Amino acid sequence: MFRSFALFLCLGVALLTGCSRSGPDTGAAPSGGAPAGKRLTIAFMPKSKGNGYFVSCKQGADQAAKDLGAELIFDGPVSPDPAKQNEIIENWITLGVDVIAVACENKDGISTALKRAKDKGIKIVTFDSDAEPAARDFFVNQATPEGIGNALMDEAARLCGGTGEFAIITASLTAQNMIEWQKFIEARRMAKHPGMKMVALRPCDDLKDKAQAEATTLLGAYPDLKLLMNICSPAVPGAAEAVKQAGKAGKVKVIGLGLPNENRRYLKDGTTDTVILWKTVDLGYLTVQAAAALAKGELKAGATSFKGGKLGEFRIVGDNILLGEPFKFTKENIDQFDF
Amino acid sequence: MDLSPKTRMLLRHETVLLAVLLAELIFFGVAGRNFGTPDNLANIVRHSVEIGLLALVMMPVVLAGGIDLSVGSTVGLCAVLFGKLWRDGGLPWEVAAVATLGIGATAGGVNALLITALRLPPLIVTLGTYSLFRGLAEAITHGTDAFTRFPPSFLFLGTGRIAGIPAQAWIFMLVAAAMWLLVHRTTFGRSWRAIGFAPEGARYAGLPVGRRLAFAHMLAGIVAALAAITYTARFGTAKADAGTGYELAAITAVVLGGTSIFGGIGSVHGTLLGVAAIAVLGNGLSRVPATMSSAGELSGLLTGVLLVLALAGGAVPKWFAERRSRKARAPVPP
Repeated sequence: MFRSFALFLCLGVALLTGCSRSGPDTGAAPSGGAPAGKRLTIAFMPKSKGNGYFVSCKQGADQAAKDLGAELIFDGPVSPDPAKQNEIIENWITLGVDVIAVACENKDGISTALKRAKDKGIKIVTFDSDAEPAARDFFVNQATPEGIGNALMDEAARLCGGTGEFAIITASLTAQNMIEWQKFIEARRMAKHPGMKMVALRPCDDLKDKAQAEATTLLGAYPDLKLLMNICSPAVPGAAEAVKQAGKAGKVKVIGLGLPNENRRYLKDGTTDTVILWKTVDLGYLTVQAAAALAKGELKAGATSFKGGKLGEFRIVGDNILLGEPFKFTKENIDQFDF
Repeated sequence: MDLSPKTRMLLRHETVLLAVLLAELIFFGVAGRNFGTPDNLANIVRHSVEIGLLALVMMPVVLAGGIDLSVGSTVGLCAVLFGKLWRDGGLPWEVAAVATLGIGATAGGVNALLITALRLPPLIVTLGTYSLFRGLAEAITHGTDAFTRFPPSFLFLGTGRIAGIPAQAWIFMLVAAAMWLLVHRTTFGRSWRAIGFAPEGARYAGLPVGRRLAFAHMLAGIVAALAAITYTARFGTAKADAGTGYELAAITAVVLGGTSIFGGIGSVHGTLLGVAAIAVLGNGLSRVPATMSSAGELSGLLTGVLLVLALAGGAVPKWFAERRSRKARAPVPP
C-alpha cells in the first residue's frame, strides 16, 4: 500500500517537473539565439490580464517590442488586484528588467513599489492610469480630460444640430475621472454650444443592466430628450439597448466612451451614432516605444516631443506623453477595429 | 495499532512534498533568471507570509474537522479598522495594532459562538461571516476610502530586514514555532486531532469539544489580524479588499500539506511545506523565459495539479488496499 502510494506521488512529481521543464526547452530556444545581455527587457503590466481593453494594448506593445528587437514580459493580475501588482513589480526588480511600464490599479499602493524599482535604477513609465508623479519618469496619457470633454460635447452638439435636451449617464457620482470629464463637458457647452441643455445626470454603478434601466427611465421622463451621452463604457451598449427597445432608435441619439466590440452591433444598426475612445493598440505601441527610449537614455526629462517608431511624433507636456486627440468610432470605420 | 500506519503515511506525504519543493528549487535555480538571489528569496518569503500565517491557523481548524472561510475577509476588516484606529482615531500604530488583534479575536469569537453554541456547521457559519466581515470592511470605507501614509517605523514591519531576514519572516517563524508546539506537543493538539477523527467519540471521552473548537477559531481570528498588519505594512495601504481570496489559498496550502479535509490527520510542518511549494512555484514561473508572461495563470493551474495529485495520492492507495482485501477474501471456498 505504501509503495504504491509513494510510487503514485513520485509519478506525479516526475510528471509535474517534466511538464514545466518541457516548456522552457522549446520556448527558450529562440530567445537564447539573440545576443544575451544586450537585449532590452521591457516589463509591461495591465490592470488585469483578461480585460479586452488591455489585450488590445498588448497587441501594440508586442508590435513595438518586435520593431525594437526587445524582450517583452507581459504579466499582471488575472483580475484587478493592487496587491498582486505590487508583488509582480517586486519580482521584476529582482528579475532585473531594464524598464517597467504599468497601468496602475491603485495609485498609492503601487507607488511605493515603483519607487523601490526606481532606486534600483529601473526606469518607470505609466500608461492608462498614472502613479504618483515622483514614482515614475513619464506617463503616457491616452487622453486629457479636456480632450475627452470637448470631443463628447462637440459630437453631441453636431448630432443635435446645436440645440436640444441631453442627459448624461455616468458610472458613479463620486468617481474622480468622471467628475473631471463632466467639468470639461459643461465648460465646453457654456463656451461653444449654449443651445444644448443638460437635463439629467444619472449613475449606473458601471453596470450595463443598470444603465439600461436608467436610460429607460430617462426616455420616459424627458419626452423631448434628443441625446444620451454615456461616459462610462458599460453604459453605452446599455443605453443603446434601452433606446432600441423603446423604438426610439434614430430619434434619440446615443454616444459615449466605450469599446468598439461592445458597441459594434448598435453602431451597425444605427442606434448608436458615435463611440469615442483612443486607439488602444497605439497606446500599447507608444508606451513600449517610450519605455525603450527611456531605458536607452534617448528620452530624457524636459523633452517636448518624442518619436514613437512608425507612429511618428508625439507631444510631451511636462512629464506626460500625449497620445493625441480621442478617436471617433462610427458605422463607417468600425470594421477596421477589433477590440 | 491502527494509528501507526496512518502516521507513517503522513510521513510519506511530507517527504514527497519536500522532494517536490527541492525539485522546484533546483529546477528554477537552473532555468529561472536570478531565482536564487538573496533578494528574490526574500521576495518569496515576503509575498507568502500572510497566506502562510492564515494556513498555520487554518490547519488546526481543519484538523478538528472544520473549516474557516472567513479568514480572508477578517484580514480585510482588520486592515481597515487598523487604518481607521490609526488615522481617524489618532492612536499610535503600536496601540492600534494591539487593538486590531483584539478585533481579530472578536471576529473569530463570533464564528466560535455560532459554531459551538448554536451547533451550526462551520462551513455555513464562516460562509456567512465571509460576506459579513468583507461587507463591514466595505461599508466602513464606502468601498473607496484607503488608508495610506503610514509612518516608516510601521512600514519597516513589511519592507525592512532584521539580521538580513525580512522583518515579517521573524513574526512568521515565531507563529510557526508556537503552532507546531501547540499542535504536536500539547493536549490541545491531541484533542483537535481526536475531535476531527471522531467528534462524538471525543465528546464521550470527556473532551471539552466546544471550548477546543472555539479556541481554534479565535486563534484563526487573532492571526488573521496579525496577517492584516503585515499585509498593510508590506503594501503601505489598507483597503477593504485586503486579503481577498486568501482563505482559499490558505486551505489549498493546508490540504496540499497533507491535512485531511475530513479532519483527524495533519501536521504543521506539512502545512509549511505546502505554503512553500506554492510560493516557490508562483515566483519561479515568473522567472523562466517561456512562462514569464503567463506565470499567473500557470501557477494557478500547476497548484491545482499538485493539489489533485496530493488528494488522489491519499485516495488511491486506499482504493488499492480495499481491492486487494476484496480479492483476498473472494477465493475462500464455502
